[in-house]
Amino acid sequence: MKAILTDTTLCIGCRDCVVACRKANALEPEVPRRWETRDGLSARNWTSIVERPGPVYVRKQCRHCLEPACASACPVGALRRTPEGAVVYDGSKCMGCRYCMMACPYGIPRYDWDLAVPYVRKCILCYDRLKEGKQPACTEICPTEATIFGDREALLQEARRRIRENPGRYADKIWGETEVGGTSVFYISDADLSFLTRGRELAQTPMPAHTASAMHAVPFAFFGMAATMAGISWIIGRRMDLQQKSPEDKKDDDHE
Amino acid sequence: MNRVRNFKLFLWALLGLGAAVGTARFMFGLGATTNLSDAVPWGLWIGFDVMSGVALAAGGFVLTATVYIFRLERFHGIVRAAVLTAFLGYVAVAVGLLFDLGLPWNIWHMIIFWNPHSPLFEVGWCVMLYLTVLLLEFFPVPAESFSGLAKVRNFLVKLRLPLVIAGISLSTLHQSSLGSLFLIMPYHVHPLWYSPILPVIFFLSAIALGLMMVTFEGLISSYLYRRAPETDILAKLGAAARWVLLLYLGVRFTDLAARGQLGHLADGGWQVTLFWMEIALSAAIPAALLFIPRVRHSLAGLWIVAPMAVTGIVFNRINVGGLVHQQRGETLYLPAWTEIAISAAVVAAAALAFLYFVEKFHVWERRPQDPEAAPAALPRFDVASFASLGSPLVRSRTLYSLAFVFAAAFGFSLLSGEALSSRGVDPAPVEEARGGDTLWIDGNLDGFGTAFAHRRHVERLGGDSTSCALCHHLNVPRDRQSGCYSCHRDMYSVSDAFGHDRHASPAGAALGCFDCHAPDAVKSAQSAKECADCHKDLIPAGAVIEVEDYQAAGYTEAMHQVCLGCHQQQAEAVEKPDLPRCGTCHREHKLLVDDPLLAQRYQRLESRGVIVPEVLEEHFQGIRLAALPQEPVTQIDEP
Repeated sequence: MKAILTDTTLCIGCRDCVVACRKANALEPEVPRRWETRDGLSARNWTSIVERPGPVYVRKQCRHCLEPACASACPVGALRRTPEGAVVYDGSKCMGCRYCMMACPYGIPRYDWDLAVPYVRKCILCYDRLKEGKQPACTEICPTEATIFGDREALLQEARRRIRENPGRYADKIWGETEVGGTSVFYISDADLSFLTRGRELAQTPMPAHTASAMHAVPFAFFGMAATMAGISWIIGRRMDLQQKSPEDKKDDDHE
Repeated sequence: MNRVRNFKLFLWALLGLGAAVGTARFMFGLGATTNLSDAVPWGLWIGFDVMSGVALAAGGFVLTATVYIFRLERFHGIVRAAVLTAFLGYVAVAVGLLFDLGLPWNIWHMIIFWNPHSPLFEVGWCVMLYLTVLLLEFFPVPAESFSGLAKVRNFLVKLRLPLVIAGISLSTLHQSSLGSLFLIMPYHVHPLWYSPILPVIFFLSAIALGLMMVTFEGLISSYLYRRAPETDILAKLGAAARWVLLLYLGVRFTDLAARGQLGHLADGGWQVTLFWMEIALSAAIPAALLFIPRVRHSLAGLWIVAPMAVTGIVFNRINVGGLVHQQRGETLYLPAWTEIAISAAVVAAAALAFLYFVEKFHVWERRPQDPEAAPAALPRFDVASFASLGSPLVRSRTLYSLAFVFAAAFGFSLLSGEALSSRGVDPAPVEEARGGDTLWIDGNLDGFGTAFAHRRHVERLGGDSTSCALCHHLNVPRDRQSGCYSCHRDMYSVSDAFGHDRHASPAGAALGCFDCHAPDAVKSAQSAKECADCHKDLIPAGAVIEVEDYQAAGYTEAMHQVCLGCHQQQAEAVEKPDLPRCGTCHREHKLLVDDPLLAQRYQRLESRGVIVPEVLEEHFQGIRLAALPQEPVTQIDEP
């Protein structure tokens, strides 16, 4: 299972990753549009550098959750997680409901608002390159190795090693190690990165678990309701029959 | 006054406006016709058309349960109207969804690509199945009028009980699963609304809403067709609704208390205000009023309570559907007029269909007559001119058509293609480059500019006498350094470089029309003289860059074209393949300008060994970054 470790203390904000990403995914440069958010991600920018006070540069991209909310939410399964760890998108299945955009706890997926035939856009961990045995374009180009690619476990160990061996340099936390069930893109930093989730601490519960109980209840609710209604109908019908019969003695029940 | 006709005229006009906007929606995409954005991907069309549409259709399953399961026969008179409303409501939901979906022609994918984990998958299937059930439930009504359909009708009537039960079960799922949709957004939905039992809350409020909606509908139609409203029946619906509303309130607050979120009520802020407004409108005030028998039994009382409760619960759906989502923080979403027009048109179409069914078939016990629809009336003639004034029936149809066509034309007039295709782009005025021999070119002042070694380029390209015209137009009199920004005024959009008014006005060149345009041709840029016809002397010998068009390209595009062309040639000539790369000119922005903050950051990085000057030097093709703060002039491409 592959992953990306981004160490914001190493990032110099050169944006070569942004350019490399655009090239690798054949994304056109674009003009700023009304519908874009301030973090620089857009349908034509699948990764961006967010400058935080310090300055600290934080590279934003899809987190490739181990249990992705988007894939769980998509009604037609256009988004899915591959064994390599990449969460990829199949535009030919998509119907454009944008539930994935609503569901993502990190607010990552973007939309082709300017096109008459729009698709959902986000980082796919350069899945095509991955299959060829190459690493993603962004990690390949990074001049300071602030963002590196490798096996998830190995990178987690590397992150822990850096935090351990450089006391005081990092906040004692790996963003993405366990939150929402773990992500394949995680960060270590000297700054507080909770801005990535609008200041909210994410619980360890994987996102799909939030809807699972309601979804499991569906068949019970359906057949339970049906049985209740049928039962009530039968009881009331029988009562009415009996009421009709008792005063008029034994009259044949002729229904219409 | 003919209330029915005026109401229909209004509906047809809404439909016409919607037709115009709908055309634009499919031609130009969602960005051009909505205020949706990456931060607010769901807006009015989901919050109102889908979420509220489904809720408003709840009258169908509530009343079929009342009449066919609980056998309360006194409600029999309104059950057909309730089923029809539910059916049309669901059709409206589906139609509204077609506008909202980015790829509506793929809506059927839900049938073959399954993702049973997705609440939206469940919603979709419930809509499809329940729509079918409603169709079968309602079909016997129009079938009464066609003797050939008697067999089908009898079969469906026999199937009624299973159909009703299936309808109730599907509605239960569907109403609640609209709540389940938002369970996956625990970090977005405000804690006053988010709850693991959202599905239960949605189901309860849907029952109350169903009762109130049937009441409201009864009131409106009796007003339109001047029928006596079934006040006693409606009062009984109200009596039932008060208990449901009370239960709903109880569940809402118990849930808040159980989750320990009651404290948020003291937070202040607009969400809390919104919460109290919603609670008051949707449940608290209607329930309180419905407990007063005089209100329940009076027409005026019902006219107040029913619309209030309906508005309140729709308000709840809109709140949960996006208004109180916290990712919006910085983004204010208000629906565009185009979004409102589509929503209104969908409702109008449903209302027109409702009126059609009501007038043509026995939806109510007594079929209302359109006062003007007397088919026996003969066409009238204006004797003097022999012109037909039409029969009353034709006349009202003519009026409806006119309302539709005029409204559509009005809609199109507000939707010029140019205005739509430029939607979403804010003008980005360009700033002049600053500096001396090295220019800091950063048109939009965002810090990501480039330090351009102007002196060095001048020297390399042959000195002051020949080099200017290689990059500059020099089309203005005595021009030695025409600033690019003076014509390429916008960072991204094309701007007018010609200045027609300047040429035509007495204060400017004071030219007459025929000085430039041919007298017998349409006056356009194509039929006018070339710039060079008058300004030949202004274009220096050897100029490389020519004015081709009256429109100046956006600054970004112009600058890139000027630089990249040479850099690509040079890259081949001097065998430096990276010369045309973005990073050659656009480096880490503030490293190149005098910025104490960045210098500090840079030193920090270097002291940690993060930045190894030699490595970076290699990466940036020969710049000595360490020397930059002292000397911003960079050695870009020293041969």
